[in-house]
Amino acid sequence: MSGPAASIHEEALVRPLSGFRPKLFFGSLVTGLLVAVLFYSWGYQIVNDIGVAGINRPVFWGFYIVNFVFWIGISHAGTLISAILRVTQAEWRRPVTRCAEAITTFALMIGGLFPLIHLGRPWIFWYMIPLPNERGIWPNFRSPLMWDVLAITTYLMGSILYLLLPMIPDFAIIRDKRLREYPKGLKTLFFRVAALGWRGTPQQWFSLEAGIKAMAVVIIPVAVSVHTIVSWDFAMAIQPMWHSTIFGPYFVVGAIYSGVAVLMVAMYLLRKGLGIHEYLSDKVFNNLGLMFLAFAMLWSYFTFAEHLTVWYGNEHAERAVFDGRITGEFSGFFWTMIIVNTVIPLLILPWPKGRKPLGTAIVGLGVLVGMWIERYLIVVGTLSTPRLEYTQGFYTPSWVEIGILVGSVGLFGFLYFAFLQLAPIVSLWEVREGEHLTHRAFAAEQALRAGREGASHG
Amino acid sequence: MADGRLHAVFARAADARAALQRLGQDGVAPENVEVRSSVPLEHDVVPVGATIKSRIPWTSLAGATVGGTAFFLMVKLTSEAYPLPTGGQPIVGLPPAGVITFEGVAIGAVLTTVATVLFECGLPGWLKKPGPLDHHIALDHILVSVKCDEGASTAWTAHAVETARG
Repeated sequence: MSGPAASIHEEALVRPLSGFRPKLFFGSLVTGLLVAVLFYSWGYQIVNDIGVAGINRPVFWGFYIVNFVFWIGISHAGTLISAILRVTQAEWRRPVTRCAEAITTFALMIGGLFPLIHLGRPWIFWYMIPLPNERGIWPNFRSPLMWDVLAITTYLMGSILYLLLPMIPDFAIIRDKRLREYPKGLKTLFFRVAALGWRGTPQQWFSLEAGIKAMAVVIIPVAVSVHTIVSWDFAMAIQPMWHSTIFGPYFVVGAIYSGVAVLMVAMYLLRKGLGIHEYLSDKVFNNLGLMFLAFAMLWSYFTFAEHLTVWYGNEHAERAVFDGRITGEFSGFFWTMIIVNTVIPLLILPWPKGRKPLGTAIVGLGVLVGMWIERYLIVVGTLSTPRLEYTQGFYTPSWVEIGILVGSVGLFGFLYFAFLQLAPIVSLWEVREGEHLTHRAFAAEQALRAGREGASHG
Repeated sequence: MADGRLHAVFARAADARAALQRLGQDGVAPENVEVRSSVPLEHDVVPVGATIKSRIPWTSLAGATVGGTAFFLMVKLTSEAYPLPTGGQPIVGLPPAGVITFEGVAIGAVLTTVATVLFECGLPGWLKKPGPLDHHIALDHILVSVKCDEGASTAWTAHAVETARG
C-alpha cells in the first residue's frame, strides 16, 4: 500500500529538520557572527549616542532609512507574490510559497528594526504606540510615520499568520512520522506543540483552505498599502524629487522587483544547498523569471517617467538633484543602478536560457544591489541637495552604520537558517495536493481517451 | 481497537469513499466516523450525512468592520482628546483617518479569519491522543476510523481490510 507521496522525494525536504547538518551549521555560524557585528555596532551607538553615525545636517536620514526602505521592499517577495499566485490558482506556486513567505516575515522584522535604530533612543519607541498614558498625549495620526507603524505592524502580523497557518498540517505530518521514529525526542515535542493537535479531518481542511483564501485576498491590498505608505514618508514632504504623485506605485513596483530578486537568489541557494531540484525546478525559475522580466520593465518605465518629468519641468531645486544623479556626485551610483536594474535584466531575462536558475540568481543579485542604490539615491541624493543651497552638505556613513547594514544581512540569513531547521521549506501538503490533482487529471484524461476509442471501435 | 475505534487505512480516495458509503448504508452515524488525511480530499470523501461548512467569509467581514470602526474611533477620539494645532485644518482629517481605518479593516479581517479557522478546526487540540495508525497519514494515506462497540463491526473491518489490500 503506497500513496502518491511515495513518488515524491520528500526526504530532501525533511532532512534538515533532524540531526546535525554541517552546511546549515556553518551557515548559521557565519551569519551568527554577522549578527554579533550588528548588535555590537548598535550597542556601541546606544552607549555613545547617535552622533557616532554619519548622519548630520542636512542629511538626517542616512543608511538607516535606506536600509529600512530596502528591507521593507524585500518583504514584498513573499506574502504578496504568494497571495497573488494563490488567488490566481497558479499550480506552479506550490513549491515556492513557503520560502517566499519566510522571506517576507524575516525581512519585515529586520526592516522594522531600522526605525528603532534610527531613533537613537530605542527605549522610547513606545511613544509611537497608541497606549493610554498619564500625559494624555496620543500619537499624531496625521503623520505618515504613524501610518508606517500601523501598516508595517499589520503586514507583519498578517504575514506571520499567513506563514504559520499553512504550516500546521506540515507540522502534523512530521509529528506523525517522528512519533513513530523518535517518540521521546525534544524536536518531536516541538512538532507536537506546533501542530496544535491537527488531525486532517475534512472539516479542518475546509476551514483551513477557506482561511488561507480569505487571508490571501486581504493581504494583497495590505502589502500594496505598506510600500505606498513608505513612499508617502517621502512624497508628503516638499523636497525636490520626493514630492511626486507616482511615488506610491513606483515604490510598490520597486518593492516587488527587489522581492522577486531576493526570491530568485534564495531559491537558487536552496536548490543547490538542499538538493531540491524536483521542487524548485527549471519551470518554476522560468515562470518567476518571466514575472521578474515584467517587473524589470515596469521599474524601468517608472524610473524613466519620474526623471523625464523632472527634466522637462526644469524646476531649479529638482533639476539640481537630477543633475547630481545624471552627471554629478551621485552619477556613479545612478548609472550602476541603471546597468544592474535595467540593462542586464533586459539583456538576460527575455531569453529562455537566461531564465535558468543561475541566470536569474545572478540577475537577482545585481537587482538587489541596484535597488539598495535606488533607495540611497532617493534618501541621500535629495537630502544632500535641499532647496536652500547654503545648507547643502554630504553624507559619509560611519563604521557603525556599515556594521549595522552588514549585520542586518547576517540577521536575515541567520533567521532563514534557523527556519530551515524548524520547518520544511517547501509545503509538503500543498505539493502532495498538486500531485493528487495531476494524478486525477491524468486519470480523467485516460478515461476520456478510452471512452472515445471505445466509441470509435463501436 | 484499543481506543474504542476501528481504524482502516486506504491508499486511494476511491477506496476510502467506498468504505464511507458502506458505513453510511450500515447506518453508522457521521459523528462516529472520522476521516483523516495529509492533503485536502475531494469534497465527497466525507462520512455520509456529515455537513462540512465554514463561516469564514462572514466572520472575516465582521472582523473587518469591527477593526475599521475601532481604528477610526481611535483616531477620532484621541485626536479630539488632545487637539494639536493644525493651522485651521480639521482636527480629524478624513484622508489620514482613512489610511488608519484601512489598516484596522485589515487587522480585524486577518485576526478574525485566523480565530475562525482555529475555532472551526478545534485547535489547539493537544489533549487528543495519537492513534495507532497515525503514521500512515504522514505517508499520504487516508485513515478512516469508526467509534464502535467491541465486535460490532467485524464485517465492516473485514471489508475495509480487503479493500485496503486490493
